[in-house]
Amino acid sequence: MSPTAAHTVASVKEMIQACIQCGTCTGSCPNAFAMDHTPRQLWQMVMSGETRDVLSSETFILCSSCYYCTLRCPRGLPLTDAMAALTRLAKIEHPGAFKKSRVFYRQFLESVRRHGRVNESELMALFFLEMKNPVLPFQYAGMGIQFLRRKKISLPFSGKKGSGDRTDGLEKIFKKVRELENQA
Amino acid sequence: MQKIPKETHTAYNALVVGAGISGIRSALDLAQTGCRVLIIDKSPAMGGLLKQLDFQFPSNHCGMCRMLPLVHRDRGGQFCLRKGLFHENIDLILSAEISSLSGEPGNFTVKIHEKPTWVDPDRCVGCGLCETVCPETVPDCFNEGISTHKAIYLPVPHAIPNPYVIDLAACTRCGACADICPTDAVLLSGADRKNFTILVVDDELSIRDSLKEWLEEEGFSVDMAASGAEALEKLKAHPFHLMLTDIKMPEMSGTDLLHAAKAAYPDLCVVMMTAYATVETAVEAMKTGAEDYLIKPFEPETLLPMVIRLYQDLEAARDREITAETIILGTGTSFYDPADKKNIFGYGIFPNVVTNIEFERLISHSGPDGGNLTRLDNGRPVKKIAWIQCVGSRDIQNNADYCSTICCMAAVKEALLAKALGEEAIETVIFYMDMRAWGKSFQRYVDTAVHDHQVRFERCKIHSLTLDEATGDLVVRYISTAGTAAEETFDMVVLSVGQRPADKTQNLSRICDLPLTGQGFPETLPFAGSRTPRDGIFAAGSAAGLRDISESLILASAASREARRFIRPKGEDGGASPSTSTAASDTRQIYRDVSREPIALFVGICTCAGRFDQWVDQEALTRYFSLDPEIVKISFVHQVCTADGWASLSKDISESRANRVLIAACHPYVFLKKIRKLSQTLGLDPSLIDVVDIMTPVFQAQAQEKNQEQAQDQTNDGKNGGQMGDNLFSRISQGAAALKQADPTVPQDMPVFQNVLVIGAGIAGMNASLSIADAGFTVDLIETTDRLGGNLNWLDQTIDGLSLRDLMEETIAAAEKHPCISIHKEARLTSCEGTAGQFHSTIETGGKQKQVQNLEHGAVIVATGGHEAKTTSFGHGTHPSILTQKALETRLHKKEITEGQIDTVVMILCVDSRKEPRNYCSRVCCPTALKQARQLRELNPETSIYILYRDMMTVGFSETFFTRARNDNVTFMAYPPETPPAVNTENDTLTVTLTEPVLKRPVEISADLVVLATGIVPELPDELANVLGIQKDQDGFFQEAESKFRPLDAIKEGIFACGIAHSPRSAGEAADMGRAAAQRALSLISNPAYVPDITIASVRHSLCSLCERCIAACPYGARMFDLEHTRILVNPLMCQGCGACAAVCPNDASVLPALSARRMLGAVDAVFERITAG
Repeated sequence: MSPTAAHTVASVKEMIQACIQCGTCTGSCPNAFAMDHTPRQLWQMVMSGETRDVLSSETFILCSSCYYCTLRCPRGLPLTDAMAALTRLAKIEHPGAFKKSRVFYRQFLESVRRHGRVNESELMALFFLEMKNPVLPFQYAGMGIQFLRRKKISLPFSGKKGSGDRTDGLEKIFKKVRELENQA
Repeated sequence: MQKIPKETHTAYNALVVGAGISGIRSALDLAQTGCRVLIIDKSPAMGGLLKQLDFQFPSNHCGMCRMLPLVHRDRGGQFCLRKGLFHENIDLILSAEISSLSGEPGNFTVKIHEKPTWVDPDRCVGCGLCETVCPETVPDCFNEGISTHKAIYLPVPHAIPNPYVIDLAACTRCGACADICPTDAVLLSGADRKNFTILVVDDELSIRDSLKEWLEEEGFSVDMAASGAEALEKLKAHPFHLMLTDIKMPEMSGTDLLHAAKAAYPDLCVVMMTAYATVETAVEAMKTGAEDYLIKPFEPETLLPMVIRLYQDLEAARDREITAETIILGTGTSFYDPADKKNIFGYGIFPNVVTNIEFERLISHSGPDGGNLTRLDNGRPVKKIAWIQCVGSRDIQNNADYCSTICCMAAVKEALLAKALGEEAIETVIFYMDMRAWGKSFQRYVDTAVHDHQVRFERCKIHSLTLDEATGDLVVRYISTAGTAAEETFDMVVLSVGQRPADKTQNLSRICDLPLTGQGFPETLPFAGSRTPRDGIFAAGSAAGLRDISESLILASAASREARRFIRPKGEDGGASPSTSTAASDTRQIYRDVSREPIALFVGICTCAGRFDQWVDQEALTRYFSLDPEIVKISFVHQVCTADGWASLSKDISESRANRVLIAACHPYVFLKKIRKLSQTLGLDPSLIDVVDIMTPVFQAQAQEKNQEQAQDQTNDGKNGGQMGDNLFSRISQGAAALKQADPTVPQDMPVFQNVLVIGAGIAGMNASLSIADAGFTVDLIETTDRLGGNLNWLDQTIDGLSLRDLMEETIAAAEKHPCISIHKEARLTSCEGTAGQFHSTIETGGKQKQVQNLEHGAVIVATGGHEAKTTSFGHGTHPSILTQKALETRLHKKEITEGQIDTVVMILCVDSRKEPRNYCSRVCCPTALKQARQLRELNPETSIYILYRDMMTVGFSETFFTRARNDNVTFMAYPPETPPAVNTENDTLTVTLTEPVLKRPVEISADLVVLATGIVPELPDELANVLGIQKDQDGFFQEAESKFRPLDAIKEGIFACGIAHSPRSAGEAADMGRAAAQRALSLISNPAYVPDITIASVRHSLCSLCERCIAACPYGARMFDLEHTRILVNPLMCQGCGACAAVCPNDASVLPALSARRMLGAVDAVFERITAG
């Protein structure tokens, strides 16, 4: 683990070390059912210094930043912020492990940049292309058909496009973000 | 405003603020040592929080009466303490608060503001007629708003005396209550306005006349003056409350009159009457002291509301001024409002969410539904209840970084009560973070709940509640102990709300100049939990932080001991001190001996403004009683509750030369103080004066009729008229028959040895000795070792870093140089004969050359302490780096652990504790672990510290240290008792393994040091317990008479305990307990002779067959077999007159003269007496 990673984990530990393991965060978390470690367990792992297990956990990926845990924590700990810090770190430390979500987010934004909104079929096509996994489209096929049946997906070239002005404005935002990211 | 207060400038030794159990305890303590005490309480009823709670664990009973003194019982009423407190040295003012404080310790002047209740408590007999006619309904505070009462209501249903009060905010002043009140107790309108005197000054007769007419019609007393000079003359002759004066008058103008009057009578309230032209003058006059002005011409509608307002202000502002040498604050705490801020539990929105106090009301027989536990939305029986702990406690988001100490046990108790109520069918779940069962019998109580009653405990904090709209059920979503998400529905959810500082603590702190802590509680000094930084002002009970009943009472006794130092002993200042008779003996001596006089009974009957005559013919009654030669006089009084009525009755009694007095009136409690005064003027023992209640049945019947009338509009008047007459008559004749048989013999005084034996010279024993010695009594302090200080010899500092060594050295120095303390080192008690007040003991001193010494003392304080438990668990003894907390403390103190030496420390808490056979929490180990973690960190900031715990027992404000340790990066891991950690010493390296309960995975820690918290075991040898005749509990601690309400007393009267011989506690708590035990002992020995109470047993030796059954039957151990004279002796100090001995005696040899068979049978015979014609 890199020294920056160790530093980040230490700072996360500092953020949550007043935790008394009351379980409020897990009880509050709407996504806890899908997590491999509940938030309560994740914090216990952070506190007992099991960094490797922490970073390989999917818990913080599933955090939807609803801030319930932060709101309800009797100790007033910044739990959502701690989750975010771990997410950032995990993406840097294990680029492979998070390829799927990283590519998905990038293509999602790419679609938004182009059209001013998400074009779902285009997004999925680009996503599958970049992932280079021939089996992957089949995993999503069932869900895709259901979405199509309920008219939740717009087909490519269906004419639903954001106005040109708006994409111009968007382009400026994306440019600014790129600048900022390069700086960082 | 000119004031005519009821009683002026009364002097007290002590003022106790708050009439909860702590206030009562402090007041009783002081009153028993002869101090005059005033208790005030802001609510209209005494009893504090406990008046709302019916059941206390572990007995699940009330038990408040156990606080009542067992000695000098006759000096106070032995009534249920939830109903009332009666003691000749204690005055009680309700609905009152301190409004200002001046002076210095030993001589405070206090102004007390009384909120008017608009009902005269001296006259209200609580008949309830007013309630039947009152049209207004408001939520009931006593039942926490779950039920309703009328605008005129009883603050608590069970108080005695129980005067009604009027909620002025809800009252429409319709006057219905005043009209129906049989004793004219309602002061809402009319009568009391007569005392409000108004002077009208105007040069125009027509104006004077019309004003007088208007005001008199409203019930005020009005006088008139035609000029300024006349007005001043009238003011001189008679005090007035209000002056209405014209501005434009010949000779002396209204403004001049105002200035002259105000100069002479600064309290006088003046209202200017002015023509439109001189409004400016009137406004100017207001700057120089006028209260208000009226512009002429005005109508009665303008004048009267103003006058009534001024009158009510005056009523309200009738502040009473008293002096007190010392002040004890027993103000208690208030509770967190769960509806505050986020209201995550929907309190007040979801109907079935209640606080724990509301729940206590719901299961109470005096509660809104008579103790039937039903849902508040649909009234269906409750089948499943959840308790949510730590609502507003241990919550940094709510600025509450403290534990509220009592809620865990309260929740367990409530769950068990619910179980009992629902015959075990109700499902109960407690959601908690740490189960803080920190007290003496608490852990076993929790275990009983788990194993015998299937109360479920889920270790998870609940974040919020949702409502199932269809059923009204409450849905709780949580993470179960297994780690999975769970959802459950409940009929009812109880929120264990946390403590907050008492209402108006800020205000009190400003008035008394008391510093507050960051959390808003009054500050107290280290090692003296009852002392505030302000001299002469003390905190009792939970004023400075929530405590359970026994700890509150201990601190209350400690507070009264500390406060007593500021009270000058009687006579020291030439009698100016308000001390009453310190010894009851003085009062008993003034009564004449009537045992050789023939019975002469006086019967006084209150006709209650003619109501009595409705049922009984006065003449027939007089004729009937005059046939009895033992009745010397019968007299009828119009209304005995009035001052005139009482005066005429007293006059009749003193003229009659009677030696027994029977008063037939209403509630006997109303007359307690009057009777005491009467007995002093007559020189007649109060036991020969009795009151029978004849009017309450009449009032009750009336109220019942009234209710029936309302319900079904039919009366059955006259039907039971004859019965009522017979009932009243038989009540009087029963009273007469019983009083005739009253035993007039004066019991013999019993001398008391006025010194105390203290066993054990630890911090508790030394503080107890110092407290007694400072009160001027001698103490023999015995210690088995050759060193004073006990456990402080190895303890270094407290959790907040205060030096315990300094404390020990200061205390030893003080004890050693005190002239009243004799210290016996290397001494042991070999025998202790006798009973309370008169113990004869032998002690053996010296190591090789034994010396025997005899001691006489009136009381014993056991302070033998305890020590750290030994253990062989976790490999203790097999490896030098496995230590106990004591060993680590010693090594830290000797600086054997140096910087950088240790990298990893594992502390294992609850070693052999909180499980059989040592199934109790030692209370000090958790804070000690936190303290040692901090000390180790100071030596090496890089040290990894792991604390393996079961439940962190950082109760009260020590929770802060837990938070601090968490922040300091100490790793905490809870372990369940079933799977404790294991310590492995293979290859000379220490490894600790355990299954981490949150992650459910094994953890292995290699440690440099393993510290075991083994807890405390008491040091109370069987031999000593046998010598003293005291009992030990199953863990070997001192067995107190009652764990909640008599925590310091042994079952055997005259023996008290303090410190860890009683239960595990910290040094500061032990010191306080020492002072408290000293106070208990002092109330026994501060009089040189003990005057027995009237109702005690005696033995008729000629009939006694020495079967000794009575000795076995006596629950107070008051009887013993006198080997020298071969007879049974009764200790009058210990005998409580219960009569158990009389019941078991086969020969009628054991008797209670005060409750003789003749007296009882006489009264029974009288039940059947009727007035026969002729």
